[in-house]
Amino acid sequence: MAGILDFAPAIVLLPFLSFLIALGAGRYMPKGGALAGIGATAGSFVLSIATFFAVSGGQTYNQTIYTWAEGLDAINLTFGLLIDPLSSMMLVIVTLVALLVHVFSLGYMNDEGETGLPRYYAGLGLFTASMLGFVVADNLLMAFMFFELVGLCSYLLIGFHFRQDGPPSAAKKAFLVTRFGDYFFLIGVVAVFATFGSAAFAGPDAFPVLAEEALNGEHSVNTFLGMGEQAWFTVVGLLVLGGVVGKSAQFPLHTWLPDAMEGPTPVSALIHAATMVAAGVYLVARMYGFYVLTPTTLAIIALIGGFTALFAATMGVVKKEIKQVLAYSTISQYGYMMLGLGAGGYVAATFHLMTHAFFKALLFLGAGSVIIAMHHNENMWDMGGLKDKMPVTYYAFLSGSLALAGIVPFAGFWSKDEVLYETLIHGLGGSPILLAAYAMGLLAVFFTGFYTFRMVFLTFHGEPRSGTARDPHGVRWNVKGPLAVLGVLAATTGLVNMVPVEKLFGIEGIDFLHQFLDGSFSSLNAHHYAELIPYSSGYIGGEAGTVAIGAAVSLGFALGGAALAHVLYNVPEPVEHTDKLGSIKTVLYNNYYQDEYQVWIATGVVQPISRVLDKFDQGIVDGVVNGISSVSLFAGGRVKRIQTGVVSNYAALLTLGLTALLLGLGLLGGWFA
Amino acid sequence: MVPPQYYLLLSAAVFCIGIFGLLTRRNALLFLMSVELMLNAANINLVAFSYYWGNVTGQTFTLFTLALAAAEVAVGLGIILVLYRNFDGVDVTNATTMRW
Repeated sequence: MAGILDFAPAIVLLPFLSFLIALGAGRYMPKGGALAGIGATAGSFVLSIATFFAVSGGQTYNQTIYTWAEGLDAINLTFGLLIDPLSSMMLVIVTLVALLVHVFSLGYMNDEGETGLPRYYAGLGLFTASMLGFVVADNLLMAFMFFELVGLCSYLLIGFHFRQDGPPSAAKKAFLVTRFGDYFFLIGVVAVFATFGSAAFAGPDAFPVLAEEALNGEHSVNTFLGMGEQAWFTVVGLLVLGGVVGKSAQFPLHTWLPDAMEGPTPVSALIHAATMVAAGVYLVARMYGFYVLTPTTLAIIALIGGFTALFAATMGVVKKEIKQVLAYSTISQYGYMMLGLGAGGYVAATFHLMTHAFFKALLFLGAGSVIIAMHHNENMWDMGGLKDKMPVTYYAFLSGSLALAGIVPFAGFWSKDEVLYETLIHGLGGSPILLAAYAMGLLAVFFTGFYTFRMVFLTFHGEPRSGTARDPHGVRWNVKGPLAVLGVLAATTGLVNMVPVEKLFGIEGIDFLHQFLDGSFSSLNAHHYAELIPYSSGYIGGEAGTVAIGAAVSLGFALGGAALAHVLYNVPEPVEHTDKLGSIKTVLYNNYYQDEYQVWIATGVVQPISRVLDKFDQGIVDGVVNGISSVSLFAGGRVKRIQTGVVSNYAALLTLGLTALLLGLGLLGGWFA
Repeated sequence: MVPPQYYLLLSAAVFCIGIFGLLTRRNALLFLMSVELMLNAANINLVAFSYYWGNVTGQTFTLFTLALAAAEVAVGLGIILVLYRNFDGVDVTNATTMRW
């Protein structure tokens, strides 16, 4: 019987089809190919929902679709699909956000009279298709290929307004910075192949399983550089992590993301919520069975995540543009996901990935709506008082902001609290690194609450501070619709996994996400990961007590931040309080001089090395090649002179040659002996 | 029966005459004749050894070589005609346009 999962490839192929249609025929279609994209993503969404329910019912799918390189004694390189709870959940998120972004684009791009729409919708289609292909990839190499495609699409879309100065440069930066991380990822892929002879995520020769068996001494794998298995796995894990850090915009490769705001706002929503940035974290979750085996890698992931969460949140505090604030909040939130994964909270991080996708897509689309209303002015200091003029946007945006700040009962509270809770208990279990990461994450909660509500108050509250804010441009259903859908989701998705409520009140069975991720392949479910986690748990005042303390503290920090924003900015005529920060303000405005020091590394360190290498290349490598050719040229110039054109000379040379040959043969053959 | 050495000596002499002509003459027709002499020196060898071993294969082969020689002369004469037309003579040392 053909189950619904046999249609899974169509989920990826439909947006790809819309890419082809928009590219080939978008010019002749109404709305510049938008309808094809909406149709395709809607189809994918419906199929994803069906897949999701099939997976909930216990079905899974792990098939090789196409072998594109095979060898007799070599590794087969394949494309395949792996549908398990994690990927089916991600499919729903990606297709839903992509669908809403397509609809929103009708309002943001078509209604605003943008040109080049077929190119835009083709980019969106390919972007969605690449991300979906990445999500369902059943091996690391295929994941890498789609990972790169995602990067390419982000490049194309960020640089959509290629006639201006900023976007092409931002697009190049995004591409190059993520590529830098991807080099490590590529080496990691090769290392995985060399070590395990397989890069499958699931199945009998899944590399996480092989790694686990190797560590238990059941069989041996190839290790390199004379390392033991544990050390080598750590190296491989860190190599792959390079790609994750680049794509998920973690410190120190986060610098591309704020610049990527140059792209059209719906693209930002897609990049930040469902595709591209999510790809990095998803990759760690996908091969979590491998990462849990190496405590060092986990600790590094947790530290990077906690630090990035705090670091980015502080920069978000001073920004003037609404999209810049959101950009730094994205970096910060992905830091939380990394923190959750590094701290052994697989379900918590996945949960945060899901809730963040909804509320961040909502916030970006809300910002897009505000930007339409403000005639493409993004400066929050020119806004103010928009809440009465655009109530739908306001309430949806407020819902997203409450979720982002982590205020109960909105989605972000549950997921962020669970991330922090997992970090806390594993930190208390005897891991000071996790406690440090927890402290950074907790402090970031305060900043998150502050910058989120600073943004809300500056944009929607107070008196209008410019002419456009007094008389904003209206938005239509195609903007309000997606906002309403996401607004409801941002408010409610947290309810699928109310672990604190379960722990505090002893209500069994309301941690639906935990149960969901426990299903399917025994090597890929949350239960298996929980057994492998190298941390032990510690509690303050029992499990329920720790839950209560953790939730209360993080909620308190979030409310504190929001309250501070309320005091400072929720007034009719807010003023810039950032001057009180003094020199810190300059540092924050310049993003801790991250860009400057990276440019310095490029010009001050890499360039001199490149010059030396260039000398070596030009002098020695090219010198040998040029030397050989000039010797040949010189010798040829001399030897060619025997070609006189006189037949008699040739005849004489032939005769001489024959004589010499006879003499030689005779001497060697002993005729004259 | 004449010993084969005599045939071989005759053949070597004819071959050397051919080579001598090839090296000393400038007339293309004489070139062609010298080449024919060298070819026939080889033919003499073939016939001589065929006779010595009592096997007619060599003699049969010589017949074919003769036919081939005739064809070669036809081609050679054609070339000489063209040479004459282009260089106003059959002196091979004048035709030196195909050089480096």
